[in-house]
Amino acid sequence: MKVALVGQPNSGKSTLFNAVAGYRSLTSNFAGTTVEYTHGEARVAGEVLELIDLPGLYSLSPTSPVEEVSRDYLLAGDWDVIVNVLDASQLARSLELTLELLDLESPLVVCLNMMDEAARKGMTIDTRALEIALGVPVVEAIAARGRGIIETFRTAQDVASGGGRPHAFVYAPEAEGILEHLAEKIAESTLECGGSTPPMKKAQRERGVELLPQSKAPEESGVEPPHSKVLRTSPCAAGHCSSACCGHAPEVKGRPSPRVSASVAVLPVLAPAISSTDLQAVGAHSPLTHHQSQIAAFPPPRFRALQLVQSEPRQTPKVKGAEDAGLQSPDPGPSFVEWAQAEIVVRTGQPADAAISSARHAACLTLFERVAHVARPRADWREQVDRLAMHPVWGYAVLMGVFLGFFRLIFDVGKLGEDRILNLFDALVAALAQHMNAQGAAFAAAKGAVLGTAGAVAIVLPYLLPFLVGLAILEDIGYLSRVGYLMDAAMHRLGLHGTATLPILVGYGCSVPAVMATRILSTRRDRFIAAFLAVLVPCSARMTVIFALVGFYLGANYALGIYALNILVVAVAGHLLALIWPEISPGMLMEVPAYRVPAPRVVALKTWWRLREFVLMAFPLLVVGSVVLSLVDFYGWQHGINAALSPLTALLGLPRSVGLTLIFGVLRKELSLLMLMQALGTTHVLGVMTAAQILIFTLFVTFYLPCMATLASMMRELGWRLTLAASTALLAIAVVISLAARGLMLLL
Amino acid sequence: MNLYEAGDHAELRILLITGGWEVRRSFNQMGIQPGDRVRVLRRAPFGGPLEIDNQGTHVAVGKQLAEKIRVEVLP
Repeated sequence: MKVALVGQPNSGKSTLFNAVAGYRSLTSNFAGTTVEYTHGEARVAGEVLELIDLPGLYSLSPTSPVEEVSRDYLLAGDWDVIVNVLDASQLARSLELTLELLDLESPLVVCLNMMDEAARKGMTIDTRALEIALGVPVVEAIAARGRGIIETFRTAQDVASGGGRPHAFVYAPEAEGILEHLAEKIAESTLECGGSTPPMKKAQRERGVELLPQSKAPEESGVEPPHSKVLRTSPCAAGHCSSACCGHAPEVKGRPSPRVSASVAVLPVLAPAISSTDLQAVGAHSPLTHHQSQIAAFPPPRFRALQLVQSEPRQTPKVKGAEDAGLQSPDPGPSFVEWAQAEIVVRTGQPADAAISSARHAACLTLFERVAHVARPRADWREQVDRLAMHPVWGYAVLMGVFLGFFRLIFDVGKLGEDRILNLFDALVAALAQHMNAQGAAFAAAKGAVLGTAGAVAIVLPYLLPFLVGLAILEDIGYLSRVGYLMDAAMHRLGLHGTATLPILVGYGCSVPAVMATRILSTRRDRFIAAFLAVLVPCSARMTVIFALVGFYLGANYALGIYALNILVVAVAGHLLALIWPEISPGMLMEVPAYRVPAPRVVALKTWWRLREFVLMAFPLLVVGSVVLSLVDFYGWQHGINAALSPLTALLGLPRSVGLTLIFGVLRKELSLLMLMQALGTTHVLGVMTAAQILIFTLFVTFYLPCMATLASMMRELGWRLTLAASTALLAIAVVISLAARGLMLLL
Repeated sequence: MNLYEAGDHAELRILLITGGWEVRRSFNQMGIQPGDRVRVLRRAPFGGPLEIDNQGTHVAVGKQLAEKIRVEVLP
């Protein structure tokens, strides 16, 4: 039995999941995306439940790619029951998602989590009344203390195996008639599907048939509905496909992209294509649904009608991307959805989406007032903390203190570990030398592999791991939201919002998870700028170079000076980017969650997800890069490379022999140091390079191209064009800064 | 009067959310709708965001967005 855990961010959904699935859980990507979800198994009452922990979701009308993917997963219907986790202390707002989930008319259990928090706020909730009003079971829980968890999953089992399906909650009576009408139209086209030739474009019809060989309606062909396997293997049925795959997906999902505005208009024409998928989904969704109603489509027609009327009203007849998606019908004609939207405007005096959402909001408030009683809240010490932590002056002092302490701690911890780890691997190389022919290429390769692993481990264990743990703790306490609030004004100067603070902070640890973290931002522009700035920030590998070279030979103040200069460059670069690509996103709107004690398991998992990006993407590249490097050295190819790079090294006034170092810095940042010593043939760098050269070299290495692993993740998140643009810009920044430093030093 | 102009700690009622579909959708996600009673808790300096309390939910609202919310002061 598959259980999907759905809840708004900070609802404690992951705590619930981890309490039962724990460390046996796995993370996977949603098909065709880089968004991750966690899944695992739990044995409840003798039955193995497959649990899927979806990323937090405020509503089924997503505003970020992560939410979009979660929503798509839900609408694909590859689950048997939904467990909707609510923060009881935020009941009124949390119910909005619950009402939307009820619209799915599928097995649902509501888990009222954080009942203790609600009590602290002086709230008493009549769970029974809520249960009756919603028509689904409601279970009280305090997941952080292990209460109510088993009851929640037991109830989910009961609901999935025995009970009927809940009814949608009717909250907008003025719009209901119109919705019904639209839903009927959708249902009609579903029925027509198996029969006569659907009135759609030939190209689409062919594509539809080609992609959906099982598109024959199950009830008509008299066969059993396809097993859920179909859903998992067929990209279309899984609902993840874009319009490039088959024309119907956006209609099903009511995706709020410009593409939809166009596709919405042609819905009546394309509707038959939707239906075939839905019929599969019904079969796959659950046997129960199938027995109850042979033709119940999933998502239900009324739900789809709701999504469609809430989609962005069509503004221009031709929308970018519509043609290549093949969605522009030759003569769109009056669209049913447009008619419905216009009709709702007439009846309610509001745009259709506002009418629906405000009606839902009002319904939630009414429901809340009926089932909850709010007495005087108990005095909350956390309010006092925020008075300081979010104070217009002291807030920034706290911020500085927290982060200086944080980086200091990481640096101290890291230093302890790094030397020991490196010594360990040095001993391993020495041992290898005894057992292998130290003059052979095989030894060179093996040595490269060992040193590569050593470099990676010496970065990951001592620096990256404590950094990510610390960051996850700050995030889970709720402090990072405060950082976002405090930094919003400053981030605006960089063309971003306070929300983008997280990726940039992660960038100080490792650029790879930092680039991944830009997914929380809603526009492609914001994601690009945030990724660019996050990559510009020196990661922990570059930190070791800065401290080992400049910090060691020129003093700690110079090293800190590089950090200060970096912040300045980030500011200027962000400002320029904001001018080149003016802001279009609406601004910061972010929940400021109450402070919480972080749950160790959640911190551990969060750390692991971010570390995993490094281990999976960066680690292999580091080892391979190191092997290549060793072989280059072995076969004496460095002279050619150094000659090729001599214009650059001469320009920067660096010794010709560091050319190779710069090339391989792209493979492995922290190897720049090792390589430099290898290239110069000494560990005493100051004997070969002047202090000025050391500074210029370090500046160049700090700013120039990100490592291969980062480039690879940028390609995944942003596409190759933007990655190429970013790389060129970074290289230019590095050259300009190094040259400026050289000029400055020549003058002095 | 828009939300950004409203004084701190006053009880306010949201009258209207101006701005397009995307803006409405963002506010809807945070559970902020016309008719809601909200209170400005504090504001960040240099044109930074406001922190508002909406039925116990605290939300940081950037200046540009706060200017899109029309409010009235409740007696």
